[in-house]
Amino acid sequence: MFLIIVLAVNAQKFMTKNGYIGIYSHTPLEEIKADNNQVVGVIDTSTGEMVFQALIKSFHFERALMEEHFNENYMESDKFPKSTFKGKITNLSSVDFSKPGTYNVKVEGDLTIRDKTNKISTDGTVEVVSGGINASSKFKIVPEDFNINIPGVVRDKIDKNMEVTVTMKYAPLANK
Amino acid sequence: MKRYIKIGLFVVLFFAVAGVVIGLYLFNLKHADLAKAKPDFIITASALQKEFEVNEATASAKYINKIIEVTGSIASVSKADSSNLNVSLKTGSDISSVICNCRAITDPSKLKTGDEITIRGECSGFLMDVLLKECAIVPKRK
Repeated sequence: MFLIIVLAVNAQKFMTKNGYIGIYSHTPLEEIKADNNQVVGVIDTSTGEMVFQALIKSFHFERALMEEHFNENYMESDKFPKSTFKGKITNLSSVDFSKPGTYNVKVEGDLTIRDKTNKISTDGTVEVVSGGINASSKFKIVPEDFNINIPGVVRDKIDKNMEVTVTMKYAPLANK
Repeated sequence: MKRYIKIGLFVVLFFAVAGVVIGLYLFNLKHADLAKAKPDFIITASALQKEFEVNEATASAKYINKIIEVTGSIASVSKADSSNLNVSLKTGSDISSVICNCRAITDPSKLKTGDEITIRGECSGFLMDVLLKECAIVPKRK
């Protein structure tokens, strides 16, 4: 719903509904790896504001059982179906959206998972291409910061951090 | 007496091996092939999207985690890579569609914008669009 409100505010907006978010954690036993290609992302080039929204259930694991555990035990996706990031490019002046090229950006904002919101700041790149904008970033989060409880026996075996990769290919949003 | 111990050890060993085999089997189990699954709902893309737009909570309770066979015309196809693509189906809304994530399509070049298609997938919910996952294309009934 709030995405629609964001969209209604017109101006220099670019959008995708096929954005990518991957999560990865290494364990001696097994790699924990999932990807989601159904992320909605909007970027406003005039303010540098960025919004992402994803459904937890859209994360795909190779192994069906791992996906089930992720949804039922760790993320409780029936109770907390969505995850949202709402933030801003803080060094907007160093990006020229009218000139094709790759720019390094700093992004700060609020990441909400399981209804728990934490501040995130990360580095990323913005690539201005003809007909769109590509953006990507990689950062680490700690599952416990979002009230994700990992039992002690399992906790010792997996990395304390979860690596998150974000890749967006935005297209201009037609003003109606 | 010794015989009982032998039998006992054999039984314990048998269950241990069976346990490991079953465990590994479950652990490595891939996603079910929805091309062969029986759908819980058969509906058009427009009708499905409308239900979520009118009342997301009710529609979520009804459709999430269920297998839905949805028919509509292809609005766009977005490729993440050759074996992972999103097929978006037109609905009555300009900004909201049904987006089907397909991971096992052998010939994506057959998917053409405007074509009528039937896709079976598991519903993961609603963002701006109704999202389906593990989708398979249902062959046309002749």
